[in-house]
Amino acid sequence: MASSWCWNCLSRLRPLSRALTAPSATPRISSAPFHSTAVQYAQPAKKKGGSLTVMKHRQSTSLRRKKKKVTERSRPPAVGERKALRKRIVLSNPNALEVEGMLDLSPETMVDSRLRGTVLGLPVPMIDRLRAVQAFKPKQGWSIFRRPGTVLRRDTIEMGRLFEQISGEGDNAQKGKVVKKIVTGMKGSGKTVHLLQAMTMAFLKNWAVVAIPDARDLVSGGTAYAAIEGSNPTQYVQPNATSALLSRTVDANRELLASLKVSQKHPNLKMLKPNSTLEDLAKLGFTDPAVSWAVFQALWTELTATAPAEGLEKNFQPRPPMLVTVDGLAHWMTESAYRSADYKLIHAHDLSFVNHFLSLLKDGDSLKNGGLLLYSTSSSNNPNPEGFKIALDRLAARRAGISPSSPEYPHLSAYSDADPRVLDLFQSAEKSLELQTLSGLTREETRGFMEYFARSGLLREIINDQWVSEKWSLSGGGVIGELEKLGRRVRGTVSASK
Amino acid sequence: MAWHKSTSLAQAMRSLRLTPTLSKPKPSLSRTYATEAEAASVPAAAAPEINFEAFTQKPARIIPSSPSYFSGSPRFIDHVLQLESLQAKYASLPTVATSDAPRMAWFKLPQFRDYVGEPVPMKKYKSLLKILQRLNRIQPEIRPNEVQTTLSAFLRPGNPYAVETIPRTVDEHGRARGKGKRKESTAVVQLVEGEGEVLVNGKSLVEVFKRVHDRESALWALRCTQRLDKYNAWITVRGGGVTGQAEAITLALGRALLLHEPGLKPVLRKAGAITVDARRVERKKPGRVKARKMPTWVKR
Repeated sequence: MASSWCWNCLSRLRPLSRALTAPSATPRISSAPFHSTAVQYAQPAKKKGGSLTVMKHRQSTSLRRKKKKVTERSRPPAVGERKALRKRIVLSNPNALEVEGMLDLSPETMVDSRLRGTVLGLPVPMIDRLRAVQAFKPKQGWSIFRRPGTVLRRDTIEMGRLFEQISGEGDNAQKGKVVKKIVTGMKGSGKTVHLLQAMTMAFLKNWAVVAIPDARDLVSGGTAYAAIEGSNPTQYVQPNATSALLSRTVDANRELLASLKVSQKHPNLKMLKPNSTLEDLAKLGFTDPAVSWAVFQALWTELTATAPAEGLEKNFQPRPPMLVTVDGLAHWMTESAYRSADYKLIHAHDLSFVNHFLSLLKDGDSLKNGGLLLYSTSSSNNPNPEGFKIALDRLAARRAGISPSSPEYPHLSAYSDADPRVLDLFQSAEKSLELQTLSGLTREETRGFMEYFARSGLLREIINDQWVSEKWSLSGGGVIGELEKLGRRVRGTVSASK
Repeated sequence: MAWHKSTSLAQAMRSLRLTPTLSKPKPSLSRTYATEAEAASVPAAAAPEINFEAFTQKPARIIPSSPSYFSGSPRFIDHVLQLESLQAKYASLPTVATSDAPRMAWFKLPQFRDYVGEPVPMKKYKSLLKILQRLNRIQPEIRPNEVQTTLSAFLRPGNPYAVETIPRTVDEHGRARGKGKRKESTAVVQLVEGEGEVLVNGKSLVEVFKRVHDRESALWALRCTQRLDKYNAWITVRGGGVTGQAEAITLALGRALLLHEPGLKPVLRKAGAITVDARRVERKKPGRVKARKMPTWVKR
């Protein structure tokens, strides 16, 4: 290539025209002289046209997203925390309005028929004791009100009068009377709350309360059990469940038990000091589950004692009446989940704990100092044993005045597999046992109940007779659980009834 | 034909049957044409002999009695022509309004096609119906017999409008009965005056319908008219699911309530308590997974 300098004068020659220069091997950067990257390294130009015009063939055109992997950030809740949350009982809600002029359940108000249909608050000192006997259940809707309260319905007032009678007060006092009732009713008809009201009344009247909050716990195989040696047929004790019952009973009836002294002889409880209270006696049981069953039997004989044993007269005080409640009775009318040594299912009646409470139902004064047995069924958690159903039908028939010889009296069907032990139990209890079927509230009671919702700020409706009777019909005739659902339901702005 | 193409088989036959049965067509088998004059000497086996003496005038060719003989549907057109002439004849007679004319059950199209024996198109039958309706509007008192008999020829057998439906009422015990259907469910409601108690299949409303929404929709007829505390209902409901049963009850209850209080009809209609929902489950089709759903596409 010719140099651009003149060989003779060393002066610049005219620049050569481009046409004469040979094409160089490397491409020149013509357009962007300051770029540091050469053109050949640039990305190839994108094809024109949006993605919509480019058809995908033979594959799905829908958007596919990669699933994000969920990384475990926090630890799962600790053992038992979820259950504790599920079983938590909240009895108060500071957001709810305080109902003005709300009366408490008291010995005066619980028999006052003028207050029928109003909601009475549970007395504050009783709440801890009620908690101790597990009278409250998780899903009863206590947590939407300022303080727990129950409606005074017809059955409640009748029960209040019964408490008065048995306590030996009022007009027709029948001190020492024993009333045995099985409480049934539709789902949500208030059976468990009825028991709660009974317990409150018992506390108000200073009765001794023994409560089994869930009958299923004793037969579901969740607690330890042991055969009683030498019993025929073999009986079984449940030491842990018994000691739990003792501790609940002591928590709830502490004042009463502390005021009563041991008045009977208990030769198989060597560690019992003389002159100790019933509270001390019960405490023996829940410190040592091994003796809990013996302690429970001792406590029971103490509570049902009518007279002191010889030599122990000086500290004897008359024992108060007793309230015994069991919730979910149907679970005790089948085989339990426990197994015997030869791997057969143990019948619930062979568990001595269960048998003790069931034998109270039988005819005769099972509670020597009088009292009330309230055994309720459950319709949401019900094993529905055939024999128990028939037995309840027979109870209802007998109450309706149908004689057992009449054809209307419920009979077993030909191939029925009803449990003969259950039938025998109810056969032996037929004279004194009553069946109480809780039905719905009346319209007036419904009105009082719904007004309580309105005054608590939950319900924003004008409560008139028409509205009340509409809700009464929708709740299947005043079933209180359904009324509660209707009362707490948040409604839209547009009223449907307009 | 066998005698035109004598196949080997035919030859074999002929050799067997010596009598020449198929060899030659008989003169008696020759066709006759109705419109042609035929020699009297030929003995006709199929058609009776035409007597030419009966004709007053001897036409060049025989004309069919109906002018519409050569049309596609002569009998139908005959009917139309007859009706048109009637209409023209009695056009001057006074008429009544359409709503006041007696209700007539004219032939449906398939029945009319059977009646005339011709494939009558829908549109043409409608034009015939128009003439019939016009004739029917002639005042019944002065309607000529001729019109009456003609019109009655076009009526379906067994006059369906003669059967008067007996309006349902509340019975002597004060019960109103209403039936309703929705989806696969059928409900029967016995409604009496009362305090708002409801039993469904002998059970409480709460036991049958767990959802509040279903309860509300079942009692919607009473609720929207604010009659919930004025009637007792005894309900039987069968078939279907929960929603279907609830909405079948709505309809049955609305109908039963109408018997007690017919004045509530506009309210109930507006509230949708007596509107029938006739939808049923759409059938599954071959080649589809469900009624409409197509199978998933699989790449070979």
